[in-house]
Amino acid sequence: MPRLQAVAILVSAAGIAVSIYLTMLHYGGVVPACPTSGTINCEAVLSSRYALIAGTSIPTSAAGIVWFAISAGLWTRAPGWVQVAWALVGLATVVYLLFVEIVLLGAICLWCTAVHALVVILVVIALASRGRSQDA
Amino acid sequence: MRKPVAGTPAWVMPSAVVGGLALLIGIFLVIRWYTTPVAPPALAPNTTGQVVATVTGLPPSELETVGKGTANNLIKPVSGTALVGATGKPEVFFYGGEFCPYCAAERWPLIIALSRFGTFSGLETTSSSSSDVYPNTPTLTFRNATFTSQYIDFRSIEGTDRDHNPLQPPTAAEQQLIDRYDTGGTIPFIDFGNRYVLSGATYAPDVIGGMSWQSVADSLKQPDSTQARAILGSANLVTAAICKMTGDHPASVCSSAAIQDLEKNLK
Repeated sequence: MPRLQAVAILVSAAGIAVSIYLTMLHYGGVVPACPTSGTINCEAVLSSRYALIAGTSIPTSAAGIVWFAISAGLWTRAPGWVQVAWALVGLATVVYLLFVEIVLLGAICLWCTAVHALVVILVVIALASRGRSQDA
Repeated sequence: MRKPVAGTPAWVMPSAVVGGLALLIGIFLVIRWYTTPVAPPALAPNTTGQVVATVTGLPPSELETVGKGTANNLIKPVSGTALVGATGKPEVFFYGGEFCPYCAAERWPLIIALSRFGTFSGLETTSSSSSDVYPNTPTLTFRNATFTSQYIDFRSIEGTDRDHNPLQPPTAAEQQLIDRYDTGGTIPFIDFGNRYVLSGATYAPDVIGGMSWQSVADSLKQPDSTQARAILGSANLVTAAICKMTGDHPASVCSSAAIQDLEKNLK
């Protein structure tokens, strides 16, 4: 298995782990290990209505578990456009969530930012892998 | 002879994505900066007096008209030894912080409700932190306020100022109370004589975001305004909880149809 593919699977696994942590916080009613005042404020973000999938009581982090799990599955196959397409779906979601955090809430959740960074890494890997396969 | 065209290097697309994302973040920050309400300018003492006089002297008929309004009923029943204040009357205990936008929001209805049972002095205008969510939410602080009533005692703790500097630490007994009933650590926390508690705000702080103290006070004179429906609705919920504490005294406040109706929902 090419190195980039293995890295993508590891990054996806890390995303699943952080998403599970955030989901457990939601259902356990536990305050995250994160500053709770000022601009860095996980509680303000995670207790906002945007932390739930619209019209449900399901936290968005649960959707994160599913997204990263599918990503891990996709990366067991040879790199192609399907990984790129899936990564771009994740990137679009990250852009929306960044808009919510920065513009609507004025607060940044560090754990959410970690998840966003993992999605961006997967986008970069997907595009780089695609570029390499085109070069070959 | 034509030269072969080289393909796009592999690093170009990832770099474009990261660069585009950084640009978007920059745009979002500019939008946030542009739309963030600034802290209202400090009020002259006589204007502060006018604001306080307006919110503490709202006609009962207006509160009756609004009823529960758009307020969320977050008041929960609790059990425990009745909380009694310094003068031996049932105590309403408030724990918050001046930085906190939810506390800023909830002080308005709390002041309106308490003013139906007694008299405040020393209320001062301030606004929540400019670097927190719902920045610069206008409010009145309990920092130097005193409250007198023949029905209840009121004790308030403003834990920190709007810049997060320590202000008024709770006593050991008050900390025990907070630990027992406010397990999520949410502020504001209001204890109604250990019969009911309220953690959080009963309406969203953005209802009064970007407004001056005077405009908030003026909006409360119009029962159909968004602010009146949220703040007066919340004040009625708080009033109902206090009426439960006092055994529906005074009747002039507690026997109103709106309060009686809300009391039924408090269990």
